[in-house]
Amino acid sequence: MLPYILLALVNGMFIGTSRAINGRLSTELGPFRASLWNHLIGFLFLTLLLAALGGWKLDGMSTPPWSAYLGGFFGALFVAVNSFIFPRLGAMNAVLLVISGQMISAVVIDYQNHHIAPSLSRGLGVALVLVGVHFTRVAKAPQPQEKTS
Amino acid sequence: MIGRSTDWLLAMAGGALLALMIHYNSLLARHTSPIVASWVAHGLGAAAALLLMAVYSRLVAPATAGPSKDLKPPLWFYLGGIPGTFTVILAAITVNSSLSLSGTIAFMLVGQVLFGIVSDHFGLFRTPRRRIVAADFGVALAVLTGSALIIFDRV
Repeated sequence: MLPYILLALVNGMFIGTSRAINGRLSTELGPFRASLWNHLIGFLFLTLLLAALGGWKLDGMSTPPWSAYLGGFFGALFVAVNSFIFPRLGAMNAVLLVISGQMISAVVIDYQNHHIAPSLSRGLGVALVLVGVHFTRVAKAPQPQEKTS
Repeated sequence: MIGRSTDWLLAMAGGALLALMIHYNSLLARHTSPIVASWVAHGLGAAAALLLMAVYSRLVAPATAGPSKDLKPPLWFYLGGIPGTFTVILAAITVNSSLSLSGTIAFMLVGQVLFGIVSDHFGLFRTPRRRIVAADFGVALAVLTGSALIIFDRV
């Protein structure tokens, strides 16, 4: 169990690293160009990886519904938005606000798909997340100590 | 220009976009494989980013959309997509372990917050340094506990 916990923690740090680098590129090229580079480089890297692993063969593959292809669009928009806010809010505020929006949306998406009203513990979870958001004050936005180029 | 409260709202809207992205990408992964789904999503995402970039630079900010700096950014500034792809591969491993999906999501969130603390403190990857204060830990605790209640409630 412990090695997997560590692996998941490291995975979260990779996510943070990716967002920090994209945020940095965004201040140079703008958020949409940063999103484009993120997807192009990721696509090339995965192409090489799939070629090396021979993972193209999909025997059990079924035809996905057309909506399954919408993820790329939301991903492109997400990376642009996140790259824009990351240097403006700082890593900590950015990640906490993104997690908050993600968790609340996940509750809504699950409700839309299963038509079961959110449970009490989910309601409590949303409330607690909102308490956290409330204290992520505008005043807490980073005051850059030094201008790094 | 855009104010701080707009940044705050944009960040939460970003979280909603992320939730939608994960929702549709997992749908695709169920019909293919996690890595192939990510490959397809990155390819379509690149096309979407190109389209968004063209629309943005034409309609919103024709003058400021292009690269304005004299200095060329170092090569590693362009490589943010690589650690991003690790996510799918590592998640595919941990989701199939005893951690399952809920545990994977939960510990990935904790890892992201840990990264946020370290990154702000040291100004990693040439980002602005920022002091982490006690209140930050309170916010992190509230958001992570709330998230855990949401994640582990999944039946």
